[in-house]
Amino acid sequence: MNIKDLSDEILFTPGHTACAGCGAPPIVRNIMKIFGKDTIIYTPANCLLVFGGTYPYLAWKVPYFHEAFENTGACISGVARALRKQGKKTLVVGIAGDGGTYDIGIQALSGAAERNEDVIYICYDNEAYMNTGIQRSGSTPYGAATTTTPAGTKIPGKLDHKKDMAEIMRAHEVPYVATMSIAHQRDFLEKAKKARDVEGFRYLHIISPCPTGWRFDPSLTIEMSRKAVDSGMWTLFEAEYGEITNIYKPKKKIPVKEYLMGQGRFRHFTPEMVEELQRWVDHKWKRIYGEEP
Amino acid sequence: MIQKLERKKMVITGDYAAAYGGMISGAEVVAAYPITPQTLIVEDFATFVNDGITDAEFIMVESEHSAMSACIAAQAAGARTFTATSSQGLALMHEMLFIAASLRLPIVMPVVNRTVAAPIGIWCEYNDSMPQRDTGWMQMSCEDNQEVLDMVIMSYKIAEHRDVLLPIMPCLDAFILSHTVEPVEAPSSDEVAQYLGKYEPVAKLDTENPMAIGTFAPPEYIQELRYHNHMAMENAKRVIREVTRDFARTFGHDYHGLIEEYRCDDADVVLITIGTVTGTAREVVDELRERGKKVGLVKLRFYRPFPREELQKIAERVGAIGVYDRAVSFGSGGPMFIETRHALYGHSIPIMNFLAGIGGRDVMKKDVEKMFEMLLEAKEGKTSKEIVWIGTRGVTP
Amino acid sequence: MYEIRFHGRGGQGGKMAAEAYALAAFLEGNYAVSFPFFGAERRGAPVKAFTRVDDKKIRIKTQVYEPDYVVVLDETLIETQDVLEGLKKDGTVIINTQRKPEEVRLSKPVKCATVDATGIALEVLGRPITNTAILGALARATGRVKIESVEQAIMEKFGARLGRESGEKNARAARMAYEQTLVGTSQGGKEFVPRPQWLPDVHEMPIGGAIGTMKTEAGLIGIGSFVENKTGDWRTFIPAIDKEKCIGCRFCWFYCPEGCISMVEGKAEVNYDYCKGCGICAHECPAKAIEMTREVKA
Repeated sequence: MNIKDLSDEILFTPGHTACAGCGAPPIVRNIMKIFGKDTIIYTPANCLLVFGGTYPYLAWKVPYFHEAFENTGACISGVARALRKQGKKTLVVGIAGDGGTYDIGIQALSGAAERNEDVIYICYDNEAYMNTGIQRSGSTPYGAATTTTPAGTKIPGKLDHKKDMAEIMRAHEVPYVATMSIAHQRDFLEKAKKARDVEGFRYLHIISPCPTGWRFDPSLTIEMSRKAVDSGMWTLFEAEYGEITNIYKPKKKIPVKEYLMGQGRFRHFTPEMVEELQRWVDHKWKRIYGEEP
Repeated sequence: MIQKLERKKMVITGDYAAAYGGMISGAEVVAAYPITPQTLIVEDFATFVNDGITDAEFIMVESEHSAMSACIAAQAAGARTFTATSSQGLALMHEMLFIAASLRLPIVMPVVNRTVAAPIGIWCEYNDSMPQRDTGWMQMSCEDNQEVLDMVIMSYKIAEHRDVLLPIMPCLDAFILSHTVEPVEAPSSDEVAQYLGKYEPVAKLDTENPMAIGTFAPPEYIQELRYHNHMAMENAKRVIREVTRDFARTFGHDYHGLIEEYRCDDADVVLITIGTVTGTAREVVDELRERGKKVGLVKLRFYRPFPREELQKIAERVGAIGVYDRAVSFGSGGPMFIETRHALYGHSIPIMNFLAGIGGRDVMKKDVEKMFEMLLEAKEGKTSKEIVWIGTRGVTP
Repeated sequence: MYEIRFHGRGGQGGKMAAEAYALAAFLEGNYAVSFPFFGAERRGAPVKAFTRVDDKKIRIKTQVYEPDYVVVLDETLIETQDVLEGLKKDGTVIINTQRKPEEVRLSKPVKCATVDATGIALEVLGRPITNTAILGALARATGRVKIESVEQAIMEKFGARLGRESGEKNARAARMAYEQTLVGTSQGGKEFVPRPQWLPDVHEMPIGGAIGTMKTEAGLIGIGSFVENKTGDWRTFIPAIDKEKCIGCRFCWFYCPEGCISMVEGKAEVNYDYCKGCGICAHECPAKAIEMTREVKA
């Protein structure tokens, strides 16, 4: 599938109030072109909740629902079961951020996956709690400065590495898990299409660079998605029932340093910190591709 | 859809009565998580599903928080829902209770009243449900298992009423009802279906007619919505009175509205009770009456909405009122006592609070007798005590 | 007591400016409070912040509706909203612009101070961060605080966050602005049509707040209604598509966060009603057919 195959119909309208250069709206708008009108959207607390709708206005053109922060898995389960009872084939989709997925929402997510609910769960991952002003999450990479892991004189940013959420979901052996980057258009669209067509629990994990929180020029959002993949910081794969069926290997692997440069959240990095992050990436690379980077 | 069920008499637990009530009311989606002493409700409902008595969707969630979240979602998608919980589970749900009420979703959730830790205990106390007072849920207590079954059915009728549209928790005492069997008469599935009708939501998630439910909202809109909720709760008083009258005509069991008076007509003093202590207190009233004491009893059924008007009428004709509480609002008094005093502002009669049965301690006939004894003293002006702990070692009532 | 309203864009530091001014007033022995408009605006969206100053404790906690002074950090804001709304009769507006006060057109003629805070910031700080320079202009235009107090407040507030050197640079920007501020009278007559707001009473409010799509006197609400929210006024930079160079690849159409690029006869076209000027389209264009330039508004 190619972007030229996408329709012009917009189900997430302009006029939304995301920051200029936000990574999330193109993800949402384009994925909705694949999912189509017969879709119900749930968002927990996140930026998308606010910029996609502030009462009485809404960017969504499909039924839209919000309850709370930590329960996306349960909320989409409830909608899906009610619709099944009504004999409807509507797609039920939850779109949570990384905080709502890795941290506070992991329990409800795991429960829904274990029950193999017939839903799509999307994590748009901008690697911190951006909605509330850039606080660290379980997804924040090692060393990154956030407002709760500031680059202090004693402690230089976040001390812990990013959690591998997609692997946790793969371990649930659900019908479909995919990691995505919008910079990889064809891959992105194919995975969205596959997620739409598979039955049962589907987990899509999409990198969503945040110019405000990562501190880079808003024109570079797509570039950041691309470099995240090329450096190995972000890995594109698909898994069905726990088995990896497809891994994208960057044609040219770039040093992690090239990805870090240009992002204010890594500006304080010492050579040792760069090395530590490179070590983490290399280890992951070896685990995924079975070879030395 | 449920199987055709005939009118029948069963000897069942309170938990079974709750589960049967949810099932026969046609709950379409159930999301629940087991917790002692509500466990039987989940088990019984699972059995109804697995035996094909109902084809309800049963979501075996991983927590009470998710149970309520899923029920809210299913109800928002247009389904009639059912769940149940107790104690710590209700506390974990607390956040979602506000959302259910504010989205105006008529969810029915029996709560088996159990003490909230610490220390961890499993016996009856109302410090689980009563702190949910301000979440916007209707809340009532049952006296016996018949009332549990009838009340679950009536709950749907009240909650789904267009002038109400609020969730409701019919409460039953841990073990004293939840695990105690007694005879219960159940109506037939046809009768219940005819009585309740189909759930028709005012708004639902439907791609044919897209709507937004639960949108992020600025202060320009929230105050009007809160006013709605307050008025819905006020409306609920009228609806509860109507529904109980109607239920009595249809099914033959009369619950008298928000309260039930027992031998109050010529009473010098009355005691307000809630839950199973009411049954014990009826015995005590009869015995004291035989001894010539003019005592009466008010069974308070609804804690929210609170029967302000009913209690004001009683206060006009008695000399003292006692309020039994099985929970404490630390630094103030029993929750029902606080409400009663608020409702009876301007009445000059003594109003006393009796705290007993805390943590599930048994409330004995002698304890209730003590309450009446002190009330009669208060009427004569012989005591001016306000908050009295009954049966607390080292504390003189 | 006097009150100041700051107009800026999310991320421009209007809140910091309001706080720094409060600190400057405090350093002179006043009581001062400062607070942002409590909204959920994102970076780039028009935002407000407030400062109140008095010689005794300020007890009032309401928002500011009738300011004595209005400070505009971003010139583009005066084109799309009436920044003078509620300004007291003898009030003053302080605007970051290259223009002279007499060249600025507002809803009515008022006492107006102008300064090229952006130019000063670029010269002194090397970045177009105007929230400190504008404070110099504010001090000059109002005469309410000494420039020395403003400098000290900036060094304390910004120095603590960004380092001493940066604090001093920002203070210097304020001093330069103080010296370059022009005071005069603005033009009037510019008309603004405020966007009406849907304010249902309790009888009209939908149950539980659930809404479908509704046309109201205040415009479309509910499902898909953000389409009437024109975010084009957030923009500082504007893309221009060279149709000759456009190869119709749709990359910009696909990546645009606003979804405001459409394909007309195989070529990309921007709907400027929504474009926030992020520049993704230009950066991702494989044919280099899109150029971003600083937008000049009427």
